[in-house]
Amino acid sequence: MQRYLTRRILALIPTLLGVSIVVFVVIHLIPGDTISAMIGTTYKLTEAQAEALRAYFGLDKPLYQQYLHWIWAALHGDFGYSVRSGEPVMSEILKRFPVTFELTILSLLIAVVIGIPIGVISATKKDSFIDIFGRLFALIGLSLPNFWLGTLIILGLSLYFGFMPNSGKYVSFWKDPLQNLKQMIFPAITLGFAFTSSVMRTTRSSMLEVARQDYVRTARGKGLRELTVVARHMLSNALIPVVTIIGIEFGYLLGGAVIVEEVFALPGIGRLLLQGISQRDYAVVQGTVLFIAFAFVIVNLLTDLTYVFIDPRIRYE
Amino acid sequence: MKNSLFMRLMRNPSGAFGTILIMVYLMAAITGSFSCCPYPPDEQHVQDMLQPPSKHYIMGTDEFGRDVFSRILRGATNSLKVGISAVVLASLVGITIGTLAAYIGGNFDNIVMRVMDIFFAFPAILLALAIVAALGPGMRNTILAIAIVYTPIFARVARGPTLSVKSTEFVTAARSIGSRPIYILRKHILPNITAPLIVQISLALSWAILTEAGLSYLGLGAQPPEPSWGSMLSDSRMMLELAPWLAIFPGLAIMLAVLGFNLFGDGLRDVFDPRLRH
Amino acid sequence: MKRYVPVLFVILAVALALSACGGATATPQVVEKTVVVTKEVEKVVEKTVVVTQQVEKVVEQTVVVTATPEPTPAPKEGGMLIVARAADAKGLDPHKQTAFSSFRLLELIYEPLLGLNSELKVVPNLADSWAWSDDGTTLTMKLHPNVKFHNGDIMTSEDVKYSFERILNEDTGSAARSYFTDIQSIDTPDDNTVVFHLSRPNVSILAAMTNPNSAILDKSAVENEDPGKVVIGTGPFKLKKWDVDQVTLLDANKDYWREGVPHIDGMEIRIIPDESSILAGLRSGDIDWALINDPRIAIVASNPNSGLVVDRTPALAYHVLMLNSGREPFTDVRVRQALSCAIDRQQVVDTAALGEGKVTAPATSPFYAAPLDDLFCYHKDIEKAKQLLADAGYKPGDITFKIMAAADEPPTAVAEAQSIQAQLKEIGVNTEIETLELGNYVDRWLKTDFDATIALNGGNPDPDIMFYRYWHSTGNLHKVAVYTNPKIDDLLDKGRVTTDPEERKAIYLDVQKILAENAPWIWLYVGYEYRAMQPYVKGFTPMPNGSIKYLRDVWLDK
Repeated sequence: MQRYLTRRILALIPTLLGVSIVVFVVIHLIPGDTISAMIGTTYKLTEAQAEALRAYFGLDKPLYQQYLHWIWAALHGDFGYSVRSGEPVMSEILKRFPVTFELTILSLLIAVVIGIPIGVISATKKDSFIDIFGRLFALIGLSLPNFWLGTLIILGLSLYFGFMPNSGKYVSFWKDPLQNLKQMIFPAITLGFAFTSSVMRTTRSSMLEVARQDYVRTARGKGLRELTVVARHMLSNALIPVVTIIGIEFGYLLGGAVIVEEVFALPGIGRLLLQGISQRDYAVVQGTVLFIAFAFVIVNLLTDLTYVFIDPRIRYE
Repeated sequence: MKNSLFMRLMRNPSGAFGTILIMVYLMAAITGSFSCCPYPPDEQHVQDMLQPPSKHYIMGTDEFGRDVFSRILRGATNSLKVGISAVVLASLVGITIGTLAAYIGGNFDNIVMRVMDIFFAFPAILLALAIVAALGPGMRNTILAIAIVYTPIFARVARGPTLSVKSTEFVTAARSIGSRPIYILRKHILPNITAPLIVQISLALSWAILTEAGLSYLGLGAQPPEPSWGSMLSDSRMMLELAPWLAIFPGLAIMLAVLGFNLFGDGLRDVFDPRLRH
Repeated sequence: MKRYVPVLFVILAVALALSACGGATATPQVVEKTVVVTKEVEKVVEKTVVVTQQVEKVVEQTVVVTATPEPTPAPKEGGMLIVARAADAKGLDPHKQTAFSSFRLLELIYEPLLGLNSELKVVPNLADSWAWSDDGTTLTMKLHPNVKFHNGDIMTSEDVKYSFERILNEDTGSAARSYFTDIQSIDTPDDNTVVFHLSRPNVSILAAMTNPNSAILDKSAVENEDPGKVVIGTGPFKLKKWDVDQVTLLDANKDYWREGVPHIDGMEIRIIPDESSILAGLRSGDIDWALINDPRIAIVASNPNSGLVVDRTPALAYHVLMLNSGREPFTDVRVRQALSCAIDRQQVVDTAALGEGKVTAPATSPFYAAPLDDLFCYHKDIEKAKQLLADAGYKPGDITFKIMAAADEPPTAVAEAQSIQAQLKEIGVNTEIETLELGNYVDRWLKTDFDATIALNGGNPDPDIMFYRYWHSTGNLHKVAVYTNPKIDDLLDKGRVTTDPEERKAIYLDVQKILAENAPWIWLYVGYEYRAMQPYVKGFTPMPNGSIKYLRDVWLDK
């Protein structure tokens, strides 16, 4: 196990290096650069002026030189500065990440607390009212685009309750937990709806799958109480695909839910990345993507480790 | 065999209802591809702009006086094209990679899954933007972008259960009697990982439609005046209060299509289940 | 089947809920109402050119529902103004910024030598007065005495000299440099006098000096610092905190050189990227004042039920279809003319912008704009368009070209392209729309890499600043405009040295006629600058150039 862990952690290095190269190539592949993005559309600079600015930011050097320069500094903990704000990229990321992290955790909580129980009940009481209602709920959750749901929630709240979850002034949890939750709960519900739906559906189908296994029949045959059968024998075995889905969605959300962050005006990492892309603020994009990738591979690793704890048959040598 | 599969699907309530919805969807898509009824989808009737649903325009008109119903039909064609192609592409590549990686294991598993991780760890929007920016906007490149974003997901979803099945008695048994790996994969592993994969595919089809909506929001996806449900929905967002019908109908269309795919998936799972077959 | 009856019910319920929440709040009738108001503005504007007063009338109409009639009460002091807008400044160095979103912050902190009043006339600002020498090459300015920078330094002629030299220094990369290249040297005979020596007469320099890009910096504070980080101006507000893309905090400048303002203690500017969320914030009362760009949101906000006040001022920035006359088939003037004749500009406004705009001549400032009836093919003429194409040797279906548009900049761009596409189909010209992400779009724009493109170009009260850069063969953006005409060169040169307003107006009238006739671009319309606010926010004067500098006069009646 320990050897496996060491190997996995060592394996993160090439992955992250790979990500850093891909992001570098990809962001430079997109036409337009920092300078043309700075210039904007309504009020324009000449090509000559733009060239001068390019030289100033070192954008006239060959790509591999720019990459080596950047990765060398990054290895020393220097991720460069944002052209836009002049702040170090790392401090921007660390300011934004907690927002996204909290949003992700909250929607995960919603998904697990609602999704798994309903999924279990739905499977054990197949075709009951709860089953039909739960599946319907899940289908609606999956079919509403979240920008759409977010817009509807904001419109409804402001029109009928004169309430706006977040009017642009984000307050951190440590400063004022109540105000913070007031701001975060609706975006979390927006994201959590679809999240809950996929968790619920996966739980249900996985439970139905497990219910047909011999050991479950054996357990029932032994005369164990239904609750014990469900909890001990079925649920623990049915959790693998659920954990997979949770891991995927969790990692995905950590990358920032751009549109929900925009709609609810939350200063999360997704917005930082989108702004970085549209401004061609290369240092910001590179730093942010690398950071998201890092968070992501860690979540993946944790997911894989969770398999071992849930299912003793899976062993990593 | 085909007939009996279909019959069994129709006997399953989810399968039946899902099939009906998908049939409706397919019919809409086929009708839409001929741009026959009731109006050409990009024909502007400026004097009739922003009409609520009426006898002439059963789903109303948009700001150019285009018939929303005709656009919904054509949108079905485009959304179907994008959704199905992207998911077929992503699932074929992803499932192959994931199953093989888990089955072969060792370094192969490590390397392949790390490469998948690189793409998986990559924020989808950046990836999609880069692909479309490099290749130019348009439907084909949108399909490619969505497929690339979803390939690693299929790989991971296929890998987890394969790992689980790999260590079960019947696979060990098959191995010990010297069955060929391809045979084991096809006969023992694939049928046993079908359930989560089918759920995943039915989810992915709806995701693809929704992702296309997100990409339309960024100006990628189907190029105007070609409609897609996603772009109709994202265009209507600012008109929610001025012309709600512009939002309701594409929203309903997406919902029903997603419902159809999911019910169909549920039905298929029941039918495919190896333990029910024998 | 029975099991799915609930499915249908829920779908129905959702549909009903959706239609109910839409139906309850807005009906198409409201749109009609708004359009009527707009037309009133248009009429009066044509007659008198006094834009803002008429707009205030519109405001009153909307207010009637909510505001209590008070005979101009004395401004109340104090309070924070909560402002919302969708886009943040892109940087803080006033000389380098080119984006409108940056100006909307910097004009509150920094000030230029001259200003524009609400009728777009050049008026004193940091300079109290100015005088031209007889040959028009020497400009002498008297500065307002005892203007203090935010750090307490007194502004002197040295600061002015430093600021203009910084702008003129090519290493600075200043956006305003091209307006001032005629400046040869700057003298500072005493602390309150600045003398600009020009290499040739140039009247438009005064208009350029009203631009936020010509802001005066504190020499001693920023000489060895980056003005993008050390933010010290003379304006009514001081920068307290700039949290990019989130919140900007401004404090009132207690030592502001204008007496009695600002009334408020400060401002909190919040960035809310989604304008429908800004509207929600206004409705919930969390936001006092907001900048709105999307006409669709502005229409809803203008609904009398919303209880909000919306200022609607015709803008100077213009929507235009730029043709690349360096590419086939647009090298042929007849093809360009045919497109101009085939496009009903009003229809573009009515569909793409839901009627929120007015068709414009090449010059957008009301004083200089040519009467539309004098311009070539400003009324749709399909027969003429077809004839022109036939003369040029094209049959219907022969021409296909691509219209490039940015995805969301302006929000109406893609819709405009679709309206034009449908209209050009009528004369057998096929088009494809190419939607690009903004950065990509700007890149191609600068390289003139397009057949035709929808653009929102910045306008200016002074026609020289609007036209010279694009249409003079030595203009710095002539490469993008492509079209060259010696007659235009002559007229633009003459316009720069002509001081008499009426004579100048005649010159630029000719320029516009030539431009419309040769149709290198097809000028479409100007939209509106929208400012939405709560009824208790008083004293704001909107500006056609979009400036929000009059937030300095605002006070809160609550």
